[in-house]
Amino acid sequence: MLRTGVRSVLRTLQSRTLASASTQEQAARSSSFKVQDSNDFNERVKNSKVPVIVDFFATWCNPCRLLTPRIEQVVAEKQGKIVLAKVDIDENTDLALDYDVNSVPVLVAMKDGKVLEKIVGLQDVDKLKKFVDKYADA
Amino acid sequence: MNTGIASYTIMLSLREATKLARLIVGSAAISPSITHRNLLTMNKSWLFGQVMCAAYFSSHQYEYDLVVLGGGSGGLAAAKQATELGAKVAVFDYVTPSPQGTKWGLGGTCVNVGCIPKKLMHQAALLGEAIHEAAAFGWQIPEPKKIKIDWEAMTQGVQNHIKSVNWVTRVELRTKHVQYINALGYFKDPHTIAGLMKNGQEQVVTAKNVLIAVGGRPNYPDIPGALEYGITSDDLFSLSKAPGKTLVVGAGYIGLECAGFLNGLGYDATVMVRSIVLRGFDQDMVKIVVDEMVNQGVKFIHEAKPKSITKQEDGSLLVHYVDKDGQIQKDVYETVLFAIGRYALTKDLKLENAGVETVKDGKIDANNEQSNVPHIYAVGDVLHKRPELTPVAIHAGKLLAKRLFNNATETMDYTNVATTVFTPLEYGCVGLSEEQAVQHHGEDNIEVYHTYYKPTEFFIPQKDNSNCYLKVVCERAGDQKVLGMHFVGPHAGEVIQGFAAAMKCNMTFKQLKSTVGIHPTVAEEFTRVQISKRSGVDPRPQSCCS
Repeated sequence: MLRTGVRSVLRTLQSRTLASASTQEQAARSSSFKVQDSNDFNERVKNSKVPVIVDFFATWCNPCRLLTPRIEQVVAEKQGKIVLAKVDIDENTDLALDYDVNSVPVLVAMKDGKVLEKIVGLQDVDKLKKFVDKYADA
Repeated sequence: MNTGIASYTIMLSLREATKLARLIVGSAAISPSITHRNLLTMNKSWLFGQVMCAAYFSSHQYEYDLVVLGGGSGGLAAAKQATELGAKVAVFDYVTPSPQGTKWGLGGTCVNVGCIPKKLMHQAALLGEAIHEAAAFGWQIPEPKKIKIDWEAMTQGVQNHIKSVNWVTRVELRTKHVQYINALGYFKDPHTIAGLMKNGQEQVVTAKNVLIAVGGRPNYPDIPGALEYGITSDDLFSLSKAPGKTLVVGAGYIGLECAGFLNGLGYDATVMVRSIVLRGFDQDMVKIVVDEMVNQGVKFIHEAKPKSITKQEDGSLLVHYVDKDGQIQKDVYETVLFAIGRYALTKDLKLENAGVETVKDGKIDANNEQSNVPHIYAVGDVLHKRPELTPVAIHAGKLLAKRLFNNATETMDYTNVATTVFTPLEYGCVGLSEEQAVQHHGEDNIEVYHTYYKPTEFFIPQKDNSNCYLKVVCERAGDQKVLGMHFVGPHAGEVIQGFAAAMKCNMTFKQLKSTVGIHPTVAEEFTRVQISKRSGVDPRPQSCCS
């Protein structure tokens, strides 16, 4: 009881000091983008200065629809230390096939054009935080 | 060839082997299709020999061992089987939009505008029925009469599933090293196929063998307004708004199935029949299927032909038609769906450049899937006088690939193929209809056993069971070899599949009778049937409270 209480107080403090809701949304927007084509992928993902989480998704996939906002929020909290690239696999089929995306959703952590880790399927927020922390703070 | 990020050791050894072979023969036409399993079991020298061998044959003069025209069930099955056997294969696939502008992805008719969406909408209709039955079983459903389908939500679910299958299909082609070319392929000459790509460039490839598997598309009648306002099964499953009151023109299985599920989903549905319902199927069974559809609210206009469709100011469609007495009649519908047969999509292939001959409806009359040009083959719905069924195309395609690339000799057996019409009460059958049996064997030489039956599940909700009927057509003499089995009732497809295997094993009626049933099921009724039609005994079962 006491612990959860403390935690919730801490969380409120944190969120207050971090940002207001609107700037948080802004952060989510600026720290994530939709990949247009393979050139765009090369420029903004492979040549990115910061690590990138690539979210391979499909419009027809329900778990994808749940995962994307979660990962957006988690990445946004890192304030630019890591970015999120969203790839629609139907618009960028060859790209997705090149990264062995056999089923969606898939999250791929990349740095300097190299794949560091890949997780398949819907993840909860705690797991996403751990995943993102690992590469944002590396 | 492995552009992916996979770095399994097996893949590395495959790469090495290919590189090695490439160095030696200096050719890019090496079969990239030695499977992982093969690599694991092969020793290196043998592997080397295989690669050399494949390279030698496929680089002889053609880029591909096999080029498949059409990415549907039959073509893809053949393509995948061929690469598994070491052949180098490319598939041309392109979907020309329907007159209403409907387009779809990889995988052909069945996945996109055929069996799959049809079965899902049939299921949606059955679930609606089940909700009302559930109330009789004690489920508390507030105002069951007010329950209605959300067409958009259902269609979205169906389309999402289709798109996921499109993706899996695409992934599989990559995994199995089938070159996928998204273009409408056509013959430049008997061994050269070209296709216009999305970027406007023409891709030209050469092939030792060509497989035509382009399938078919729905016919439109030549009447005013048909193309402008009519839809077909190409459009129905992705229709953006509910179809409303619908006229289905045509009483083949597609027409009946569409009318059946539309009615089940709550839309007014009418079937316009030109002459015979479900031509080629057992006509006793067909009568029962139609009776049940009428029971459930589907309307039938027999011996009638549409004459014109005009759009009215309120957007509805005014249909004029000629009735059985030659009189012009009219009615107003929201949707008119044509299901009057399908034509083979061969006219875009420029078959004349390859010398391939076609017959009626653009179809190819092939002998063991081989056309009149020996290295050009055909499977699936383009074949003349072959059942237009996905599993038939798949089976024929696989066997063909094995004959081409594995020296196999087994040919496709097109007889005794089971099928099911997914009308509200389904109709499953395998083998001969009673009419065909009479024709082939003579009326005196066949015995037909039949029965009505009462599914256990029908009693509590008091569902009408008067159209639950089955028949077994047998030889009359000896142990009475079974020639055909026919079943109208719930889950007919599931019921008939196993019996199809039994018939493949030449089951006799004696063996069927000695089979112990599973109680209580509907399938067990086949093991209990004993009244012959010839005896004239009433085939309706006696039971209490009936």
